[in-house]
Amino acid sequence: MELQLQHLSKQYGTNHAVEDINVSLAPGVYGLLGANGAGKTTLMRMICGVLKATSGDIRFNGKTMQELGEDYYAHLGYMPQDFGFYPDFTGREFMLYMAAVKGLGKRKAKARTEKLLSMVNLQEVADKKIKSYSGGMKQRLGIAQAELNRPSILILDEPTAGLDPKERVRFRNLISDFAKEKIVILSTHIVSDVSYIADTILLMKKGRFLLQEPMAAVTDNIRGKVWEILVPEWEAASFREQFSVVNLHHEGSMVRLRIVHENPPADNAVSVEPGLEDLFLYHFGEEQEGK
Amino acid sequence: MLVKYEFLKIIRKKSTFIIMTASLLLTAFLFGLPIIQYQTYNQDGVIQGAQGIAYVKEQYSMSVPLSEEYIAESIGEVQRLFADSQNVGYDGNERFLIGDAYWNHIAPREKMLNMIAKTYDSPQENSGYQKLAELEAAEYNNFYQAMEDKMQALRNTPSRGLSDAQKAYWSNMADKIKVPLQYGYFEGWEIIMSSFELLVFAILSICIAVAPVFCGEYQAGTDAVVLAGRFGKTKLITAKIAASFLFGLLAFSLHVVVACGLPLMAFGADGWNLPVQIANTTIPYPFTFLQAALVSIGVIYLILFAMISFTLLLSSKMKTPYLVIIVLVPVLFFPIFLTPNGTTGTYNLTLFLLPYRAAMSDIGKYISYQFGNLVLDAFSMRAILYAMLTVIMIPFAKRGFQKHQVAG
Repeated sequence: MELQLQHLSKQYGTNHAVEDINVSLAPGVYGLLGANGAGKTTLMRMICGVLKATSGDIRFNGKTMQELGEDYYAHLGYMPQDFGFYPDFTGREFMLYMAAVKGLGKRKAKARTEKLLSMVNLQEVADKKIKSYSGGMKQRLGIAQAELNRPSILILDEPTAGLDPKERVRFRNLISDFAKEKIVILSTHIVSDVSYIADTILLMKKGRFLLQEPMAAVTDNIRGKVWEILVPEWEAASFREQFSVVNLHHEGSMVRLRIVHENPPADNAVSVEPGLEDLFLYHFGEEQEGK
Repeated sequence: MLVKYEFLKIIRKKSTFIIMTASLLLTAFLFGLPIIQYQTYNQDGVIQGAQGIAYVKEQYSMSVPLSEEYIAESIGEVQRLFADSQNVGYDGNERFLIGDAYWNHIAPREKMLNMIAKTYDSPQENSGYQKLAELEAAEYNNFYQAMEDKMQALRNTPSRGLSDAQKAYWSNMADKIKVPLQYGYFEGWEIIMSSFELLVFAILSICIAVAPVFCGEYQAGTDAVVLAGRFGKTKLITAKIAASFLFGLLAFSLHVVVACGLPLMAFGADGWNLPVQIANTTIPYPFTFLQAALVSIGVIYLILFAMISFTLLLSSKMKTPYLVIIVLVPVLFFPIFLTPNGTTGTYNLTLFLLPYRAAMSDIGKYISYQFGNLVLDAFSMRAILYAMLTVIMIPFAKRGFQKHQVAG
């Protein structure tokens, strides 16, 4: 099973939202990281066939999306970012409706609906109208509908946005459960979510892939660029102005800073093992803080 | 399955319930108004509403074949009444019967006598039963000849501008009218036939209810998830269209039941099998009241379907239902403000095809359309036009949703 994106671009006027993306994806969980406006959602919409690419091809097992037609969509599960529901439908009705949209037979639709509602822990509220659901419940319903047709390609756009920590953990576990033998593309700017479940990181900036690396090796190229330093409180502000500070921790009258920078920010700075958040800040720090 | 859920989506909306309830109440009010406002007179004064209706049905309803003999006898009776000066009043303008002569001999069948009198009018005249007093025996012994002559005079009126082919079309149609006409009570049907255009409000409310079918998905942000489904760009669209038409059909039928049911319950369904010529002898269509009502309603159903198609087309192209409604309202109601100045010419013939005007039965207006040798009456032309519009717009609506780009 292989999903290929070949020279995929999306242009709005002179603005390149996605530019010449080339990647070949085998089964596994891909964490798509990038700052807001990096082109993650545009890329995912193109993969899901709901936004036309300006140029380039999307191929599944060698055939283009156009050649496959309905069959392509039969392999697809999509949970868009902030997508709406039908407030007057119950959770069960929404699942059965989506099963019909996905072409599942009546019996199969019922069975999958019940199984998934149980998996996402919504069975007890399945006959309540969606308008009465909390944000977390809606997100769980969202991933349940994406999984209805047992998709080979599962696209999840910011699935944990707006969830509290407990819900996020629960959600990450759900994604891991669903991810077996699938191509899962998970977009988020909450890097800790990705670090738990992704096999590969796709780092996007200004419509392009900056990095495509396995999770284990993704931080290798910033090794030696992450520092920790203990400074007096009055000095911390000046460091924050000059450097990208990943973390700040008060220890009595001192402050421990975690800084991402090419060179040691001070003589007493200690090089530490880099993490995904460090990587994110290394690439997007200026963009995020407008420096 | 998909049709069921799409249908549920339409009917479960609170806005649908509110719009449909308001629309049904408005229809009930508009078609109930003639019942409330109905009034008739007897020697003691005016009798209004349901009492008036009951009085007319009891005292004035009659069933009689309008044979030449019966008409001649009736005209002779009117002339005899006018011959006695004690029966006649004069208001400085016209003579009329008074007292028992009027209440006993004219009032119970005044409507019929007026209809007979009008048959002898020239196209520009509009006489009452008084005209019967002036007729010569040679005239009133040939009522059906007079009816044919008047139709011919109407067809030949220069201002109508009918071509020879159109005149022949109407003449052939009129030849199919079965004579002698059977006269009877037809009050309920007359009221229904004269109010059909009010059903345009029902059409608007149905269009408002189906306006979110496509753009409601864009607005709610559900477009991405449904379009990425296997049947999102194929069967789902067909299901949305089918559900919209099903909803339109059921909701409109409910309105038709209310619109026709109220007058028919109040006035009775009597007269359904009587020829429409007893309301106006110049009507060229060989229909009974029921047939005329069914044909008119049939055309209005086709207008409804075309308007649903148009709404779906707009819905697939626009971002919100509000924008759809902003376009729909003037399309439906703009013709109200345009008045025809005849029955010919591009302006008038176009006006008679626009939704509001097309909902009027215009059964006695000799409106016809000619394409080469082919002549179509207003009913046929409207039916063909709106059926074609329905069929033409649906693929564009489908395409609009298929090609929709989830962006922004």
